[in-house]
Amino acid sequence: MFLENMIKIWQRYDYVFINGLFGTLWLALITVVVGTILGTLVALMRLSHSRILYGITGVYIEVLRGTPILLQLYFFWLLLPKIVPVTMSDTACIIVALIVNSSAYVAEVIRAGIQAVDKGQTEAAKSLGMSDRNMMQHIILPQAVKNILPALGNEFIVMVKETSLASVFFVGELMTAYKTVQSTTFLALPSLTIAGLIYLIVTFVLTKLLRLLERRLQASD
Amino acid sequence: MTKQVQDQVLIRVEGLSKSFGKLHVLKQIDQHVNLGEVVSIIGPSGSGKSTFLRCLNLLEIPEEGHIWFDGVDITGRDGANARRRLFSKAGGIDIDKHRQKIGMVFQHFNVFPNLTVLENITLAPVLEKKEPKAQAVARAEELLERVGLLDKRDEYPRKLSGGQKQRLAIVRALAMEPEVILFDEPTSALDPEMVKDVLTVIRDLAESGMTTVIVTHEMGFAREVSDRVLFMEDGRIAEEGTPEEIFGSPKNPRTAEFLSKVL
Repeated sequence: MFLENMIKIWQRYDYVFINGLFGTLWLALITVVVGTILGTLVALMRLSHSRILYGITGVYIEVLRGTPILLQLYFFWLLLPKIVPVTMSDTACIIVALIVNSSAYVAEVIRAGIQAVDKGQTEAAKSLGMSDRNMMQHIILPQAVKNILPALGNEFIVMVKETSLASVFFVGELMTAYKTVQSTTFLALPSLTIAGLIYLIVTFVLTKLLRLLERRLQASD
Repeated sequence: MTKQVQDQVLIRVEGLSKSFGKLHVLKQIDQHVNLGEVVSIIGPSGSGKSTFLRCLNLLEIPEEGHIWFDGVDITGRDGANARRRLFSKAGGIDIDKHRQKIGMVFQHFNVFPNLTVLENITLAPVLEKKEPKAQAVARAEELLERVGLLDKRDEYPRKLSGGQKQRLAIVRALAMEPEVILFDEPTSALDPEMVKDVLTVIRDLAESGMTTVIVTHEMGFAREVSDRVLFMEDGRIAEEGTPEEIFGSPKNPRTAEFLSKVL
């Protein structure tokens, strides 16, 4: 009965789930990509000599990692329309919130990746009289990328799951798809199971791909 | 060895002190290095040899004291700036510019694994001295030839042995055309059969008139190449003199004791 319902729902509403999946992947991708750019800036500020920048970024990271993501979504959803002069859709507000949240986690990933580069590399570059900027750009960051890439892949997988919270605002990802199907068919459990299976398959495949990437990176050492 | 040590001071150190927390590593050191001079620093581990060397290009920031390089106080504590906190550009001193003239070779090589052998050498001259690429490459190749690594120019350092990495590190430092080269235990991390190749390169360099300061445990080498030997103990320079004086007839009983253990 249950299985039958699932099959029926899938035959009828597969496009809703598929669209939802693409919504999820797109949301996770834009979050991680823009979050990485923002997170890199935060990480570099945190590693700079300036105590002020160090302090500010410290608070930024603590606040974003120390409060629930759902709360942050609500916060940006309420705040942004009040302070931004142009009209922002719910989706836009949620995307900004997800990006800001992700940037805090990515900043820590990048900082750790940079600090994991052997200290001797910094000393060698400094002993040659290289400027901080050139050292970062040509010596440290290229080596840190190897430490950072796998962790960024992980962040993407986490985001695929976390974006489900955006369904509270009907943003059009996979959990929103579930809600849509559920409210027309009144078959909650089978619909939810379908969404769950899709999440599972996607994260499973992504995890395998990530392992592959990690092995590649290690092989080039 | 018939080279002339000129009587011109290149590095002068005055009242240098450095602590790591409560540990007093360097205690009021006064020293100098003349142009063209080869100075070896020996002594038991933990005596502050490496820290002293690393202070000379400010990889370690001393709490007290002055370091004059080419007549400029690179600690930025000269005159009006005497009370300024020491930072990379404190007191109008751009330490990066001075470091370009002070080459350094490390115990663990610290070659850049993300760059080829050639790029390791040309990166800093091209970026920091704005040297034309072709010129930097030409000199890099000439230097590689001299240390027998020319056939490795396009390899990545992971393909090199320890001895080859260290020779690359020496060439990388030389490519900046420094006025002095600091060696921090350059052979301590090498397999025994690699030590000789590296020492040969350093000896050639020293004999060519390059001002050299070397922290080493290779007593035979120190005795052979040095103009002057410093024996450090407990954060101080306990004795200094010519190799003959230090190794032949040490005056300080601590020096004699140390040498009896390592020779």
